[in-house]
Amino acid sequence: MERNILVLLPQLLLIGFAFAVLLVDTAGRQRGERALSTWAAALVGALAVVTAVVVLPFWVRQGEFWGGMWLLDPFSLFFQVLLSCALILVLLESAEFVRARRLGSGVFYALLLLATTGMTIMASSRELLTVYVGLELTSVSFYALVGTMKEDPRSNEAAIKYFLMGAASSAVLLFGISLVYGLAGSTYLPEVARRVAASPLGWAAAALVLVGLGFKVAAVPFHMWTPDAYQGAPTPITAYLSVGSKAAAFAALLRVFVVGFPALSEVWQTVFAVVAVLTMTYGNLTALAQTDVKRMMGYSSIAHAGYVLTGLAVFTPESLSATLYYLLAYVFANLGVFAVIILVSARRGGEEVTRFRGLGRESPAYAMALTLFFLSLVGIPPTAGFFGKFYLFYAAVHTGYTWLAVVMVINSVLSLPYYYHVVREMWLEPAQEPELKEQELQGAKAAPEPESAAGYGLLGIGPAVTASALVVLLLGLYPQPLIDWARQVAVLL
Amino acid sequence: MLTALIFLPLLGSLILLCLPRENHRALRGVATFFTAAELLISLLLVARFVPGQAGMQFTERYDWIPSLGISYHLGVDGVSLALLVLTALVTLLSAITSYSITERVKDFYVLLLLLETGMLGVFAALDYVLFYVFWELVLVPMYFLIGIWGGPRRQYAALKFFIYTLAGSVIMLVGILALYFGSGLGTFDMLALQEAGRSLSSHLQWWVFIAFFLGFAVKVPIFPFHTWLPDAHVEAPTGGSMLLAGILLKMGAYGFYRISLPTLPDATQAFAVTLATLGVINIVYGAFVAMAQQDLKRMVAYSSISHMGFVMLGLAAMTPRSLSGAVFVMLSHGLISPLMFFLVGTVLYERTHTRIIDELGGLYNRMPVAAVVLAFGIFANLGLPGLSGFVGEFATLLGSFDVFRTLVIAASLGLVITAAYHLWMMQRVLMGEANTVGGVGLLPDISRRELLVAVPLMALILFLGVYPAPTFAFFNDAILRLQNMVQLASLGGGF
Repeated sequence: MERNILVLLPQLLLIGFAFAVLLVDTAGRQRGERALSTWAAALVGALAVVTAVVVLPFWVRQGEFWGGMWLLDPFSLFFQVLLSCALILVLLESAEFVRARRLGSGVFYALLLLATTGMTIMASSRELLTVYVGLELTSVSFYALVGTMKEDPRSNEAAIKYFLMGAASSAVLLFGISLVYGLAGSTYLPEVARRVAASPLGWAAAALVLVGLGFKVAAVPFHMWTPDAYQGAPTPITAYLSVGSKAAAFAALLRVFVVGFPALSEVWQTVFAVVAVLTMTYGNLTALAQTDVKRMMGYSSIAHAGYVLTGLAVFTPESLSATLYYLLAYVFANLGVFAVIILVSARRGGEEVTRFRGLGRESPAYAMALTLFFLSLVGIPPTAGFFGKFYLFYAAVHTGYTWLAVVMVINSVLSLPYYYHVVREMWLEPAQEPELKEQELQGAKAAPEPESAAGYGLLGIGPAVTASALVVLLLGLYPQPLIDWARQVAVLL
Repeated sequence: MLTALIFLPLLGSLILLCLPRENHRALRGVATFFTAAELLISLLLVARFVPGQAGMQFTERYDWIPSLGISYHLGVDGVSLALLVLTALVTLLSAITSYSITERVKDFYVLLLLLETGMLGVFAALDYVLFYVFWELVLVPMYFLIGIWGGPRRQYAALKFFIYTLAGSVIMLVGILALYFGSGLGTFDMLALQEAGRSLSSHLQWWVFIAFFLGFAVKVPIFPFHTWLPDAHVEAPTGGSMLLAGILLKMGAYGFYRISLPTLPDATQAFAVTLATLGVINIVYGAFVAMAQQDLKRMVAYSSISHMGFVMLGLAAMTPRSLSGAVFVMLSHGLISPLMFFLVGTVLYERTHTRIIDELGGLYNRMPVAAVVLAFGIFANLGLPGLSGFVGEFATLLGSFDVFRTLVIAASLGLVITAAYHLWMMQRVLMGEANTVGGVGLLPDISRRELLVAVPLMALILFLGVYPAPTFAFFNDAILRLQNMVQLASLGGGF
């Protein structure tokens, strides 16, 4: 039994820096200064975490710690890398936003770090209660983060909805875990796998766990909170919610069902297939009708959850590694999209589709990057999203799930028009019409300190967009290393 | 060598991105330089090409994603090399034509060069995934070319084009995967799968064939998947229409040539009558609808549908002569349709500001040289002997006659209608009383730059029409090999 505290280094760093951020916050004299110093502290923390995660496998032997409570394996490393990279991008995107909106910066960044702690915990255990603790830490941090814009009724509404439904789903999850414990006498997943056989009670337990985690990944029919929460939350939080929270929940979902319930796989494979089809179709069809880009991205994230779920429905090492690949591709493309949304909203005072009008003229680089991200989300080469989808189709067709692949390709086509809305506004519409300029002026007046949009907004958004675009392109042109990694991870799951 | 050919335009578009957007002269110059260099390289390839040699030439092969069996595999045979040259030529002419674009010049040429990379890649790729990547790469720049610089209904046309083609191609992707797993070889290599595809069960071959058919049929386009074409062609800027009609439509037909016929011969045999029937429907339907059009550009667009029907008929008949004829029609239509779109969309429209046939008239008296060029284009398009259109269509009909007698007779009826509506159009546009459209009296005649675009096309159309033998010889071996493969398969099926 190993007890090496070093294995918790990333989590310790995250928590340590969360408190450091709070301390830095009390030291600053005026708000602007505090916003900058806390941001810098959080960013340093995130960089330290990435470094820690990368060197961790060289310092610590991989395996279980503290009697199976904690696990360091390729799977948990994959998600820790993914989540800490996402954290850096979200921090870069937050700088300008937090300052301009005068949010309580110390609390904001500290909660972001704590949420990340929770997510990494979710991916790093084969023990249901540890997973649950991670999930709760993530959720509680997000409940507060979604509501940080205290003056904005939308943000409040989003927070309350997210909290109420999140609490209910946590309760369902916990009930499921209690059933599992009743059946297996343990919450340690390999033990669960040995004891839980195909029985009505076993199915019920698995179903309740699915409901609890399905809420977090926003799978239909547990998606109702998504559009409101996404639209109302501060945009960087929406970004993190749509990638980080989702990725971590998928990590838990994969771990629990693949390791814990292999005996029931025949049943849950069918369930996942049905849920996947419903989720992607619903997400894409509803996204078509949206005029607010944040809300649209909410539905789009539902649709993408559907694609990812097909990996579980097919359930081969191949499909699981495709799932990981797809998640990574999705994370970077989505964070890139949100970076540009934040930029546009800071400059033009809103997130409606029409605010993007003429962006291709005004800032061609950002508009090109956003187009690239959308292409990746639709799945058009040469982008990461294409190979993600391709790999999922590949795995599906390989196992005889050709019908699922066909549903997925039809859905990719369905998703095109709503991304196209934004692309059309950016490139095809002529430059700003006068009436819109007026609107824009009003919007700018309403938003505090419009001139701050320059400042260190560029410091954050620019690198975030560049980094995401590079990853999306690189993974599209040379996917081999990541495929190898994802395969290795999936085999050892 | 092929890599250089394919990616040089990409380099060009990156260079263009770094140039200032106000300096139109420099932007046009750089774009023209790169497209001209492409033509030179492609001609160099032709010079080094050995027609009689078996197999692909100039092959390049590197591992790309070895764990999934995906490689970067390029190579050409006579047919694809001819199409590469055609692509390089039409892109260069399209770049010159587009000098008249004054808005967002930089974006236009960046996209044009990107498009060229995609088109060349499609014709040179020998790996299914690589093929698919290039296939989709064509889609994005073309969407923007139509959507930004197109006519009044450009947004509708661009989206329709994108959705139709994307829908077709993603289904093709599933077909690719089915073929890959059905063969059990673990490679996406086209040539390897060509060997394996023939031994697939006929059931699987059918499904894969249908998946590929949907992908290619949208692009060709085959009736009833053609409805995006008139919109896209009419709304696209002239440079875009030239490439759409000249090259993009050939991508679909090339897909049948490179993939469906050699890899799935049994299924192709089984569907041959359907394909031929659809081809003849294309011919006759396209011609009738073209006759009813008032808009010249729309008329030319429908005539493209009609001509692509010959390609389908020739491919479906699968005799050496019909296949050669089909490829010849591809090349000849790749020259004639850009010429027509150029004349109608730029030469005529920029002077008269209308494309409506009834508003035009008596143009021969008002811009004699341009009218002669247009008459040449019309004759070429209607299949006048001595010009390239005739040779290909004649060879196709001749080669298909033994296989599909009734259909060939119906197709010849289409030829008559084609001649009829072209002559009728010519009568209304060029002859008759001069009217005052675009101003009173003489109109400025065709300019030197416009002649620079038209003359090479006219010369090649004439050359191919008068002396087609070397061109046929150029891709003859590829055709014979293909025919051998198909025949072997059908014999094998007979035992």
